[in-house]
Amino acid sequence: MRTIFHSILLIFLPGLVATAMETEQIDFSHQIVPILKEHCFECHGGDESKGGFSINTRRLFLDGETAEPGDADKSYFLELIEDPDSDFRMPSNGRPPVPEDQVEILKRWVNEGLNWEPGFTFGESAYEPPLLPRLPELPSAVDGRDHPIDRLIDSYLASGGYKRPDPIDDAAFLRRISLDLVGLLPKSEEARAFLADKSPDKRERLIDELLARDIEYTEHWLTFWNDLLRNDYDSPGGRKQISTWLYGSLKVNKPFDAMVRELIAPPDDGSSGFIGGIKWRGTVSAGQSLPIQFSQSVSQSFLGINMKCASCHDSFIDRWTLDEAYGLAAVFSEDPLELYRCDIPTGVMAKAGWPFPEIGQIDPAASKEERLKQLADLFTHPDNGRVPRTIVNRLWGQMMGRGIVHPLDAMGTEPWNADLLDWLAADFQMHGFDLKRTLRLIATSQAYQSHVAISELANDVGEFVYHGPVAKRLTAEQFVDAVWQVSGTAPPGFDAPVARAAARPEMVEALALESSWVWGPSVDGGALPPHGEYILLRREFSPAKPLRSAGIIASADNAYFLYLNGEEILKGTSVNTLQAAPVGYRLKEDNRILIVAENRGPKPNPAGVFCALRLEYADGEVEIIVTDETWKVSDSFPVAEHPGKLKLDALEWEQARVLADTTWKEKTDTRTGKALATALASSDHMVRSSLLKPNALMRSLGRPNREQIVTSRPSELTALEALELSTSGQLIEYLGGGAEKLLQSGVYGDRNALIEEIYLSLLNRYPTRKEVSVLRRTLGRKPDKDRLTDVLWAIVMTPEFFIIH
Amino acid sequence: MNFEFDPTAPVSIARRDFLKKLAVASSAAWMSGAPQLVRGKDIQHPSARADACILLWMAGGMAAPETFDPKRYAPFEKGMAVDSVLSTFPSIDTAVDNIKICKGLEHIAGIMDRGTLIRSAIQPDLGGILHSRHQYHWHTGYVPPQTVACPHIGAWMGRVLGPQNEVMPAFINIGQRLEGVGEKEELKAFTTAGFFGNEFGPMNLPFPEQAAQSVRPPDGMNSKRFSNRAKLFRRLVDSNPHREYASDHQQESLMRSMESAYRLLNSPERKAFDIDNEPEKVRRNYDTGRFGRGCLLARRLVENGARFVEVTTEYVPFFHWDTHADGHATAARMHAEIDRPVAQLILDLEERGLLDRTLVILASEFSRDAIMEGKPGSDAFDQATYKVDVITEEKHYGLHRHFTHGSSVLMFGAGAKKGFLYGRTADERPLVAVENPITITDLHATIMNTMGISPKTEFTVEGRPFYVTEDGKGVPVEDIFA
Repeated sequence: MRTIFHSILLIFLPGLVATAMETEQIDFSHQIVPILKEHCFECHGGDESKGGFSINTRRLFLDGETAEPGDADKSYFLELIEDPDSDFRMPSNGRPPVPEDQVEILKRWVNEGLNWEPGFTFGESAYEPPLLPRLPELPSAVDGRDHPIDRLIDSYLASGGYKRPDPIDDAAFLRRISLDLVGLLPKSEEARAFLADKSPDKRERLIDELLARDIEYTEHWLTFWNDLLRNDYDSPGGRKQISTWLYGSLKVNKPFDAMVRELIAPPDDGSSGFIGGIKWRGTVSAGQSLPIQFSQSVSQSFLGINMKCASCHDSFIDRWTLDEAYGLAAVFSEDPLELYRCDIPTGVMAKAGWPFPEIGQIDPAASKEERLKQLADLFTHPDNGRVPRTIVNRLWGQMMGRGIVHPLDAMGTEPWNADLLDWLAADFQMHGFDLKRTLRLIATSQAYQSHVAISELANDVGEFVYHGPVAKRLTAEQFVDAVWQVSGTAPPGFDAPVARAAARPEMVEALALESSWVWGPSVDGGALPPHGEYILLRREFSPAKPLRSAGIIASADNAYFLYLNGEEILKGTSVNTLQAAPVGYRLKEDNRILIVAENRGPKPNPAGVFCALRLEYADGEVEIIVTDETWKVSDSFPVAEHPGKLKLDALEWEQARVLADTTWKEKTDTRTGKALATALASSDHMVRSSLLKPNALMRSLGRPNREQIVTSRPSELTALEALELSTSGQLIEYLGGGAEKLLQSGVYGDRNALIEEIYLSLLNRYPTRKEVSVLRRTLGRKPDKDRLTDVLWAIVMTPEFFIIH
Repeated sequence: MNFEFDPTAPVSIARRDFLKKLAVASSAAWMSGAPQLVRGKDIQHPSARADACILLWMAGGMAAPETFDPKRYAPFEKGMAVDSVLSTFPSIDTAVDNIKICKGLEHIAGIMDRGTLIRSAIQPDLGGILHSRHQYHWHTGYVPPQTVACPHIGAWMGRVLGPQNEVMPAFINIGQRLEGVGEKEELKAFTTAGFFGNEFGPMNLPFPEQAAQSVRPPDGMNSKRFSNRAKLFRRLVDSNPHREYASDHQQESLMRSMESAYRLLNSPERKAFDIDNEPEKVRRNYDTGRFGRGCLLARRLVENGARFVEVTTEYVPFFHWDTHADGHATAARMHAEIDRPVAQLILDLEERGLLDRTLVILASEFSRDAIMEGKPGSDAFDQATYKVDVITEEKHYGLHRHFTHGSSVLMFGAGAKKGFLYGRTADERPLVAVENPITITDLHATIMNTMGISPKTEFTVEGRPFYVTEDGKGVPVEDIFA
């Protein structure tokens, strides 16, 4: 650390200091550090503090009471520096005085508030984070604020003489808590009810209610976990998804220690993708081999340690060494692992181990499976306080906008409130590593329910002081979900291989139906369809009356694509699986199903397609449309063409051939109920963007490529993003759908009611009179779709919408 | 830990610094944003020879012997031995006496006296010759995978130099679709500002003829409605009861981003995105396809102050320059696609007096050979579609293997020597660079140096130094410059 520190200081050329523009703010690192280093460090920096004065940190600098932030004239150290009498002047003992231009810079620095680079110290960083868990004693409650977090934070604020942030009102709370816990805006009716509710415990009830909405909770937090465990549905390199496992774990609120254990020592394939890493094609550098990826991933995600530096050489920036990085890698490695320093073999073999031997060590002689188990045990060991601290700090960061330790991946950094971090971690550990419990704890505190910190730019650079939660920007997923929710334009299907809702047994039974299989004329006379044959099936239908729900199910030997009204809904490549989807909201007056099916294999072999559409009408009547002789089939059509673009009437059609007895029927019939029930069970829940591969909009709003672990999202909106949102036809289409929905609902006949509905849906508060008058003027007497669309756009672009405040 | 620069942190130090400066200077720079926060040892930037850079990307592996480094020509004959094929095109004279290039590139031949031809660019094999990894390497200077997301060279220029004209995005990427094509995830991995953050990312314009749509109202919205909508936004922000939060840096930055966006949308420069504004006569010279139209768009954008523009022939596995089969015919088609627009671009820049301050580079991730995969001695997997010893059909005739040890790069403008030939490859197989081999690292150093960026420029990310050329070791090839 020392050597780096010195080399950094050496870089500052005097020229840089002199050329700083007068109008610009002082740059601490580049302008101040060199001056202090040159003239003050020798006697007042590092281990030296002559006259009891140390410049090591901002706090120490101020403790010397020689500097008055904001007032250079009252800052004694400047007086000393400028003293014409060399007997009193600093630097003393005949050292050359500080040049005038540098004194001017120091004065400006003081006048600007003595801003300091966070975490910077002239001394050796003395902080060594504790490993063992610790349950600090809680300070006594003040003003009846007896929540453990508030007792800790109130005491912190009081001892620093800081003001307690103001509490937020119900509207702000409602919006913040909904976005933080389930990632969605509250609906307008929820907002109305919550704002009208007079009961004192309504916030707590809401928190519990949101945490209990397991699908919404899971699909929001999926984004955080996918980022942290670099899991995605589409990725470069070979990577095994853990989506199914992860979704299931979040949904049942699996204890975090169990999750860690299953990720590090996977009991089966479901969770093995995390340590499996990304298998790149071709050769990769020693620093990116699978064992090294393992070392880096488990360190970063669970220990908040950056092993990336140490995977190449002993880290220059913290205490981790090449040995330690390879020790962890060797836990994972099948074969003996040679240490490479900066990609050059050292001849030394790595010994499996982990960096905190104080609480136990890996047996290098054990099998890989055994070593992983041992490592998992150490990560979840009762004496391991590091893992709980790391995760609760991340949860705090998600909820409060900034970690207690910052950055989140540098757990070696001193927390701004060690008692708070340790208490939360210990509580988490003592209560079964319950993620929702910790989230609930944070959410129920007055600290969470208080006004965001307003950072005065000038003071933002100094040592971090907690003044309240930090505002967050909506993530890409939150923004897209909010637009989909308001406009009703969410897509019907999704990419994540997850079961969103479990089918209820009575539904499984009620929805079971018999399969019926068809193919084209090639089966005539008992012949086997040729291999490589494609057929096109079609069926038109019109629902007879208002629908309650509709689901579709299909399978084929060997492969098929199913289109409903021109859009691909289902596809499959195995007769042993059934695909199903809810389609109620997609149905129009007249509808068409098209299925392209393919018979694969080296020679002619049996082929068949099964599809059933189940329409449940509002009056309870059920209609089933199943592949039978009412379907039409064509065996000569341009296969390469998108079926949506085919000129269907130009093709030759025949009646589909129903296959008498097929080997598939029996097995399929036992599974139709479950597949349909599963598809329909989640149909009440809007498809969330976290379940989809990223599209251009999500990407431009900051959804990352998950090749690296990502632990925080952009906090700002870039100009390119603003440009994209301003010119995006896609966004206008979404919002136009929302406008249409509002107009068609007809409920909001008068403009004021319409405006109120918009504000409650998007901003979750009532509009002010001024806002009503602006919008009345824009909407005119008779609001039309375009004007309403533009109103929705203007609101979603405002900072109030974009920022979780 | 000293001097932490954590670009993913909720409020990056760099960003705050930017805001502070903006607050004082009250002029918002287009997304370049942050100051030139150069950290590291002895960073003294060279003086810039160019204000703008255009990269003409021959995606998929342009065979040097079929383009700018012709070897012995072997015309197609049924039954010819495949190892007798070095070039499938005869060579032609160029405007420079000692430079010959392949037939089909007559227009470029005519402008060879305007720039430098490098014939000795080399690449490592990366254990397998993979387009996406080699393209990642070429575009970022780093061999993937890396533990941090590496910025594209365009993002480096935007980050260090900022925009040339504050209304114009600094980094514009023309012609590459990132959705709906093979290896799209791999393409996205380097078409990014990496750890610099989205702010420095590319403006992607996959279809040059549709570029104008990115800077005009959404379809179906007339300009009156568009401007009314913007006014409404402003009014709502002004009447927002929560404006007391306005000191929040996030709100300010959001408003500033909107302002930047609208400054471009309302600027005369936005017309640069619309190639239909170009006179028909000029447009015709470029209109050989998407790449040609991209060259025209690039010229218009640079004229209006873009900092870095990449125009690609587009990477789609097994298409365009990715000639795994039918190489000769495909190369002939690619000649036709690039020849006129590349030459016209140089002439237009020259005519407008821009060439002296614009660096134009034409390059590819590697070259090709009829029989050799990788470099001599490489055990890279042979990826030719037809593995034949004797050519019996025309589709076997061409350079179907990836070759990594001798490719050609063109450099025009910004003081690059005119009519200059740098480096040489062997005349007989293996066609390796035998004179002045130049690595990607040194090529990047040359490019960055020309742009006024020291090859040693470094940023600290996750506590580690990260350099614009690998480990800060790139050395510019000064010989190329007059």
